[in-house]
Amino acid sequence: MKKYIIIFIILICSLQLQSQINVVGTTTTVASLAKIVGGEKVSVDYICRGDQDPHFLEILPSYMMKLRNADIVFKIGMDLEKWLPQLIDGSRNDKLKLIDLSQEISKKEVPTTKTDASQGDVHPYGNPHYWLDPENAKIMAEEIYSAFSSYSSNDDAYFKKNLDEFKKQIDSNMKEWAKKTSSLKQKNIITFHKSWVYFTDRFQLKIVENVEPKPGIPPTPSHDASLIQLIKKDQIKIILMENYYSDSAPNHISEATGISVVKVPINVYGIESVDSYIKLMDYIINQISKNG
Amino acid sequence: MSRKLVYYLLLFSSLTVAQSNINPDISLIGTFDTYTNFIKDSPDYGKLLFDIPSFELYIEGYLNPYARAAANIAFEEGEFSAEEIYAQILRGLPLDIQIKAGKYLLGFGKLNTVHPHAWPFVNRPLWQQIYFSGEGFNDIGLDVNFILPTSDFYSTLDLGVYTGQSMAMNTAGEDADADEVRGNSLIFVGRLGSFFSFDDFNNLEVGLSSSFGNYAKSSFYIPDSVGFPEQMLKYYYGGFDFKYKYRPDSYTSLVLQGGTVLNYRDVIRGTESEPAVETITTYGAFVYIDYQFFKIFTLGAKYDYTFGIIGDDYSATTLSNDDQNKTSGIEVWFNYFPVEETLAFKLSTQYLYFNFADNISKDGETTVTLQMIFSLGPHKAHQF
Repeated sequence: MKKYIIIFIILICSLQLQSQINVVGTTTTVASLAKIVGGEKVSVDYICRGDQDPHFLEILPSYMMKLRNADIVFKIGMDLEKWLPQLIDGSRNDKLKLIDLSQEISKKEVPTTKTDASQGDVHPYGNPHYWLDPENAKIMAEEIYSAFSSYSSNDDAYFKKNLDEFKKQIDSNMKEWAKKTSSLKQKNIITFHKSWVYFTDRFQLKIVENVEPKPGIPPTPSHDASLIQLIKKDQIKIILMENYYSDSAPNHISEATGISVVKVPINVYGIESVDSYIKLMDYIINQISKNG
Repeated sequence: MSRKLVYYLLLFSSLTVAQSNINPDISLIGTFDTYTNFIKDSPDYGKLLFDIPSFELYIEGYLNPYARAAANIAFEEGEFSAEEIYAQILRGLPLDIQIKAGKYLLGFGKLNTVHPHAWPFVNRPLWQQIYFSGEGFNDIGLDVNFILPTSDFYSTLDLGVYTGQSMAMNTAGEDADADEVRGNSLIFVGRLGSFFSFDDFNNLEVGLSSSFGNYAKSSFYIPDSVGFPEQMLKYYYGGFDFKYKYRPDSYTSLVLQGGTVLNYRDVIRGTESEPAVETITTYGAFVYIDYQFFKIFTLGAKYDYTFGIIGDDYSATTLSNDDQNKTSGIEVWFNYFPVEETLAFKLSTQYLYFNFADNISKDGETTVTLQMIFSLGPHKAHQF
């Protein structure tokens, strides 16, 4: 009998040691980075699908269930996930740890004057689309590593190894990505929404206009007309846009000018084949270089 | 009423300032209606009419990591009222329960807690006008919300106890003296709601609701001289609600939603010299479909049915006490949202028709409304 009790105790302890950290990422990119760093020590889920606009999400109770069972939730921050507080409230998970991955990010387009709705949907803390710069993905991975290491210090070495491998992959791919985008260096491009400043600054592209007349405001015929004139005058080659926006206005502009509309996911699993951060950047850069 | 309102605002703002240096969210939702009706013999037949603009001022925020508070001050028909003022403990309680206390729209059915500006249609469902009154089921009390241990789907149980002033208003109108109408006895409201997510694009919520208590004293309806022994007239509401949504992307969605109520209550019948208490069973239902396309437009239709005649005066045999006559309605709408929910235009046409048991004839009523709604301030994400 004593033997069975001892075996039972050892079994329970080993199960506890092997239990995973339950993680939720607000976006698929965040979840993907968490899985890269956490490996088999974490189980990961996400809230916003890769092909969904993370600005606007309906509060579904099923999202609250995901957070209810989670230990850590990672968010992009900078007011991108306005829906998150209601989900956390609904989950009633007192033990849930919320980690903002923007803490160490060097933020761009931080408003220096009072913002209001006349400027469109302006993010008051700066442009939150920072994950589109691979260097920022490394910073996000480091934040994730710190969180995991605090949560499970026994596995610190394992998480560090995964982090270092990821950073090495980014560094080795950066050379290839820079080479592919070199033909568009310092060239003007148009984007649909103001999501791309971190990406374009990294790869030295220049955004001269957006299809949205102001952030979050649908395209208008008069603004489309001014874009058509600009494209013809400056010989702009591409409109870069997220695949969850309607391409109706960009296609109309393309018909008038011959400009290429480059429609890409901006999150992992934004299309099925893009199942990792590296593949996401590969896809975006390949599409740009193919059409630029 | 204005003095009370100022008091509530001062109290609320002092509480929020005392608890935190961070400002609460403040939003203003304004509504402006212009309409015409085609009601036979109405002096306004075919005339273009304008309602006094109304607004709702929302103030809400976290008091601390464990609790939130909110206030909704409404200005309607030229008068201020505190539509909702409540605090909610969100975490830190045993069994993960949440407690809400104050004055607020009660969780009977799914639609009652949704403010009218967020409806796709313009006109409140008919049975809610009969059994809840025109302002919805709104009362003072407290509610405990339990999250049930269902692993595959989200399920909650709400149990609440309230003063019953809403039933006094439903019996005798907005200015009813609750003591005179029903004395002092509590009412109870509960709802069991479950949410099912079939996949990323298809979701369904269903709910069962219940409410019971006393709605009036018999002496409210019967003159004292009759000598009828006073007794409390009881009511029981049972309800079923559902909401299905298909949303493949942010530009398109299809919503099918409905709700029913079964009303089982004591009523005064007989004659003035020989009154008697009887029990009646009546019901009401609504269902609507709303289709969103190109992100900024929606098209929809609603069907309504209820016992009771909309617009009747309050009495022992009308409205929620009416088990003889019925009102039906059809409403169709076309909505335009140029920029998210900051501005909305709703064009609605409603046709009401009446069915009287004693062959009274009343013509149908058509109302065409153009409603403009604006939303100023931070916008919370939409609840399903």
